[in-house]
Amino acid sequence: MSVVEDRRTIVLDQAPPLARSYAAAARKAAASAVPGLGRSARGAGGQELPPVAHRVGGVRAERSRLARYQRLMGDTLRDSLPSVFVHGLAFPIAMGVLVADDFPLPLLGMVHLANRVEHRRTIGADEALTVTAWAENLRPHFAGTQVDVVAEVSAPGGADGDASAAGAGSDVVWRGVSTYLARGVDAPGAVRPQRPSRPDFDAPMRTGQWRLPADTGREYASILGDWNPIHLSSLSARALGMKRHIAHGMYSAGRALASTAPVAGGYTWSIEFEAPVFLPATVQFAVADAAEAGPGALQFTGFKRGASRPYFSGTVAPR
Amino acid sequence: MASSAPSAPQHPTTGARTVRDAVVIGGNRIPFARANGKYADASNQDMLTAALDGLVARFGLQGERIGAVAAGAVLKHSRDFNLVREAVLGTALDPATPAYDVQMACATGMEAIGSLANKIKLGQLDSAIGGGVDTTSDAPIAVSEGLRRVLLEFSRARSGKQRLAALSKFRPKDLAPNAPGTGEPRTGLSMGEHQALTTAAWGITREAQDELALASHQNLAAAYDRHFFDDLITEYRGLSRDNNLRADTTLEKLGTLKPVFGKDLGSKATMTAGNSTPLTDGASAVLLGSEEYARQHDLPMLANFVDFEAGAVDFVHGREGLLMAPAYAVPRLLERNGLTLQDFDFYEIHEAFAGTVLSTLAAWEDEDFCRNKLGLDAALGPIDRSRLNVAGSSLAAGHPFAATGGRIVATLAKLLHEKGSGRGLISVCAAGGQGVVAILEAR
Repeated sequence: MSVVEDRRTIVLDQAPPLARSYAAAARKAAASAVPGLGRSARGAGGQELPPVAHRVGGVRAERSRLARYQRLMGDTLRDSLPSVFVHGLAFPIAMGVLVADDFPLPLLGMVHLANRVEHRRTIGADEALTVTAWAENLRPHFAGTQVDVVAEVSAPGGADGDASAAGAGSDVVWRGVSTYLARGVDAPGAVRPQRPSRPDFDAPMRTGQWRLPADTGREYASILGDWNPIHLSSLSARALGMKRHIAHGMYSAGRALASTAPVAGGYTWSIEFEAPVFLPATVQFAVADAAEAGPGALQFTGFKRGASRPYFSGTVAPR
Repeated sequence: MASSAPSAPQHPTTGARTVRDAVVIGGNRIPFARANGKYADASNQDMLTAALDGLVARFGLQGERIGAVAAGAVLKHSRDFNLVREAVLGTALDPATPAYDVQMACATGMEAIGSLANKIKLGQLDSAIGGGVDTTSDAPIAVSEGLRRVLLEFSRARSGKQRLAALSKFRPKDLAPNAPGTGEPRTGLSMGEHQALTTAAWGITREAQDELALASHQNLAAAYDRHFFDDLITEYRGLSRDNNLRADTTLEKLGTLKPVFGKDLGSKATMTAGNSTPLTDGASAVLLGSEEYARQHDLPMLANFVDFEAGAVDFVHGREGLLMAPAYAVPRLLERNGLTLQDFDFYEIHEAFAGTVLSTLAAWEDEDFCRNKLGLDAALGPIDRSRLNVAGSSLAAGHPFAATGGRIVATLAKLLHEKGSGRGLISVCAAGGQGVVAILEAR
């Protein structure tokens, strides 16, 4: 069991709507902008992570939504859940953890750094899933504070069963760790590590190319519900201090997995986001064998011609 | 019979019936036309019918019931679900001639002809016509995916409310139509961009590609000049020669063209409009038969269609170049027929791009590739380049995707018959990382 003993599990009836979470995050951000108000003012955040996990049972994929997701990613309509789609199912519950009053970092403006996912077995489209999410490993980053948001998805009823929220953890079928950075936020007394030296990016030989239209973020949001304003339009992103709106990191992950993830069976995958994909965009995509990451493993990279660092890079390996 | 290969293929026999020869009797095509030119108004069905008409006239097939006609088109309109049968019904062939569509991208023609040859060998057919057609001028334009889904949902709706719900999903951007491209669906890269990667990986120079292009134009022009195509081509819509042919082109002229593919390689970009095939319209057909059929009908026998083999590679995960499948299929075909790469008098390697031909040849000469990728003991080795595409190929003639197989089979069969002996190797690459290769033997 991954949930540590002293973490209290709060069982919710249903996943909190993402729109409400973003509204709460915005209220929190506004409150913290006023001196004397708010508990996690920018630059003075980060005490401790609340020792709670949120759990919702009976989470199910909606078939039409799944089909739209598979179309968006250029994937095949299959009766199993793509890994990023599972992430999308778990995301509202994870967000609920991040917008709780006692969560020490400001949600809006947090930067998505990386994901590591164990997709332990094929997950059927009709399985009733229990999602448990919590935050852990609050630690300094060279640009602020980073935190891991863990989501565990279990299927208490088994592959063809039907079950309630009870007994999560016994049969974890999917476990994802999303790492986020709160830029410029430091826990009291925290010392930021040195910025690690980065080797020069040597673009690999491309094997594909994605043309992402300006509405890529809106399309993704309309399917998986992540309506973060930085992904929606140039205007909404600029309101949050971005140059333009950017593609969801998980959109890139979903596209990459559509062409690299094993069709059946479990696999592990990871992705690191190194530069924002401003929309619209043309992303050069490269896949190659990555024997060092295990038998049958592949590595992928998304990049822009001539850029000094890639948009993202990752690996996929069968389990 | 002339076919006395050193070690004849071992055919499985399940009964007393033995496998007989499949003979290439002759071919016919319409001149290939650069897209949006002479054939801009002609449909796939029109052009295929024209190619068949010419074949029927040449071999006196009016009123004849042919065993089967198999052909296809790569860019096909949904109304052309029975393209080949419809074309046959428009010819003087007996309407009792069965016909069906084949589609294997640019290898469509080869697959159609090869499969028909197999049926003749097995005695299932006595005569057959294989070929292909393609138009990029009269290409099917589809409504956008968004509009298509709205229209489909609308047609499924049963109530006014459902219809409204369907229509509410319409977005103005859905009005933009979709035209087919040469992009690979799984990678988003065009065929030319894929080949640019392979060309660069094999270090194929701009000069080598331009030289191959020049040879293609010169060889095709020379073949026309010696009337080689007189009994292989029928004039259509005022065109009597492939109008992509530039008999007077030079290395200097080809050298002035700017790269069009692989521009992300910067100064290493080598692929131009001169050493890549242009989009082309055209159709071809090849008449096949058993030896008995040819004799009974007093028809010529140009060559035996000995054997063919398909290949495919994993280009999606970057393990091989998109158009390299023939490099893998050829050694299997050689092995099965007890031949070496040097045992041929003619090599017909489809010039999708000059870089494709040169990358394939480089791969066969490469010890490491042949050992590690092909699993051979040694390199297949070089070929005698003076035997390559001696009557021109796609760089000069153009490449109406599905029609190329028929052009090559008819050309090679005639070359072999002229020579009176020997054999020829065909290699055709195709979208989707596929390819078909074949062996013909002179009669």
